[in-house]
Amino acid sequence: MTAIAINLNGRRFEADVSPRTQLAELLRDKALLTGTHLGCEHGICGACTVLVDGAPARACITYAVACDGADVVTVEGLDDDPLAAELRAAFREQHALQCGFCTPGMLITARDIVARLPGADSDRIRLELAGNLCRCTGYLGVIQAVKQVVDARGEVAPLLPAERLGPVGARPCAQAVAPPTPIATTPETVAKVAPVPVASAPTDGPAPQHALARSLAVTAPVDAVWAQFADVVALSRCLPGAEFGAPDAQGVLHGRLHVKFGPVRAAFEASARQTTEPAERRGRLVGQGRDRLTGTRVTAEIAYALHAADADTRVDIEVRYGLSGRLAQFARGALAERFADRLTADFAYNLERLLAGAPPDATAPAADGLWARLLKWLRLSNT
Amino acid sequence: MKPAPFEYVRAASLDEAAALLRRGDLDARLIAGGQSLGPMLNLRLAQPGLLVDITGVPELLAAERTADGVYLGACVTHANVEDGRVPDATGGILARVAGGIAYRAVRNRGTLGGSLAHGDPAGDWPCVLPTLGAVLQIDDGRSTRELPAGALLRAAFEPALAPGELIAGMRLPTLSPAARWGYYKHCRKPGELAEAMAAVLWDPERDILRVTLGALDDAPCALDDASALFGRSGSRLSDRFDSDAVDALLQSRGIDDPIAQQMHRVVLRRAVERACA
Ligand SMILES: Cc1cc2nc3c(=O)[nH]c(=O)nc-3n(C[C@H](O)[C@H](O)[C@H](O)COP(=O)(O)OP(=O)(O)OC[C@H]3O[C@@H](n4cnc5c(N)ncnc54)[C@H](O)[C@@H]3O)c2cc1C
Ligand code: FES
Ligand code: FES
Repeated sequence: MTAIAINLNGRRFEADVSPRTQLAELLRDKALLTGTHLGCEHGICGACTVLVDGAPARACITYAVACDGADVVTVEGLDDDPLAAELRAAFREQHALQCGFCTPGMLITARDIVARLPGADSDRIRLELAGNLCRCTGYLGVIQAVKQVVDARGEVAPLLPAERLGPVGARPCAQAVAPPTPIATTPETVAKVAPVPVASAPTDGPAPQHALARSLAVTAPVDAVWAQFADVVALSRCLPGAEFGAPDAQGVLHGRLHVKFGPVRAAFEASARQTTEPAERRGRLVGQGRDRLTGTRVTAEIAYALHAADADTRVDIEVRYGLSGRLAQFARGALAERFADRLTADFAYNLERLLAGAPPDATAPAADGLWARLLKWLRLSNT
Repeated sequence: MKPAPFEYVRAASLDEAAALLRRGDLDARLIAGGQSLGPMLNLRLAQPGLLVDITGVPELLAAERTADGVYLGACVTHANVEDGRVPDATGGILARVAGGIAYRAVRNRGTLGGSLAHGDPAGDWPCVLPTLGAVLQIDDGRSTRELPAGALLRAAFEPALAPGELIAGMRLPTLSPAARWGYYKHCRKPGELAEAMAAVLWDPERDILRVTLGALDDAPCALDDASALFGRSGSRLSDRFDSDAVDALLQSRGIDDPIAQQMHRVVLRRAVERACA
């Protein structure tokens, strides 16, 4: 817990907050100012917009600890504000209120428009209000209300708050803080929890909705590559972040797949079953995984077929996968494809190393420019 | 949703921030405005053990005119630039771009450094700053190195920063009076991340013809010498624009959906037309 003090609606307000406390949560739950509403909680809807150091800011993606010493004004703090009084009257006259959920955020944004953009026309007002969503879709009244106040005020000097540079709310650090001691919620700690048993076939996971096909060229004879594909445990190590043990009595592989993508880190507890058709040099891996950290589930069917290409081998891979949970929200379709491309490139690189008798390399392709080269090469061989 | 628990430290200096980032016992992450990290924390997509707030580090708030351009600290916000609170060497380009990012409430906290380091392929600064020739100052608390903005973004969401390194700021060169600029982005709704974007800088006097394509699902495609896209004959740049060459470029970047191709092609053509207008 951290002790903070803010100047809230003109009064000093002190609180002991945990670092993850959103500014909105502090306002609603600790200061009992429930005029600030929470809708999306990721900066889109604008319902939580408050004034921080005199400028609008999202109270859902601003953390209370980051506002220590700041000046915060909520809709309740605008009772005696002359500009807000004009806006309230205009909102009434123009029927800019329906259920009222979006209204506190609308008023804060409207006040900013009037103060910062004297003479703004309807188009500009509309643009500035794009960050405030109304579930009742009553935008016209709001735009007219803001326009009415802007017009009534005429040409006045714009009112730009906060002279200092940097994010509103932030203050220069006075003195060095003692470094924290680790708490028991790092991914490493969570990852040490015993793996949860997962069913061997993806019957209860998300249905595969995405498919992608890739070909990779391996400079080794097809028989050697096929022999390597039979050793699925060694094969799995070619995928950076994968840790699989020997198959259990039912032939099911269990293990973990660590994924890192920007600030996202996931560790999928995964299980998979392999079936092969040696005569056709074809096989299939069906599996599923679950990441406890992000509550994401994935199911995947990976079909592979090996073809002799002169003295070398072409490996055709078809992946069908389904994703549900939080990571699925983040994974815009094509981003997931690029990520799969990268995994495939890393896999191809390590497969070649494995066939040449070298150990798989968890970092090399991503660490230097190599993976970009690999990616290019992969696309060239993409048929 | 409430983020998973994390520790929080407000760093007083670059050294302190870098040292905290290097700690092996905690999964530490920087936070500047929190306008990209915040949504990921709230969705619990990101669950760092420690957040190092760098918005109180004085060096990161610097903004000054230099002999050949301007220097902007990493924690300068989009709104600071939009309002002209920092010096400009680009004839107003920076302020216009800044004003088109997200919404004012987001711009009041989102920073230049955070936008670059987050590396969203659809971000405005990752497309614009490489085109303007920005050079980043990367600091690890012990030494500083320079990196062209285009080289930072080698893959979506994966900036080329070593553990313990952070973006301290950037140098932007002064554009010559003859320089022409075109920028266009396509969003379904104002303030939303773009579906396609392109930036063009043409300075015949200094022999610069740079193009960056953004919102490609991959890192932005920054061409330091874009003359290959302008292979046709003609006196105006827009007449020389070769859409076949653009198609080939898009294909080489894995954009093979015809609708996506059309979108990127049109956006680039409009950016070129604006540069010629
Ligand atoms: C609703 C909404 C709409 C948006 N629309 C747009 C848009 O249209 N265009 C656009 O470009 N952006 C958009 N954004 C993103 C916004 O511009 C962010 O401000 C910006 O991308 C991140 O800056 P930040 O300071 O908030 O970074 P933070 O969220 O604090 O950090 C982002 C990442 O960068 C790292 N980081 C931060 N600073 C540094 C540094 N100095 N050195 C190294 N690493 C660092 C952090 O560890 C983190 O991983 C939108 C955001 C929201 C919420
Ligand atoms: S709740 Fe903050 S923007 Fe939606
Ligand atoms: S009035 Fe109901 S959400 Fe806007």
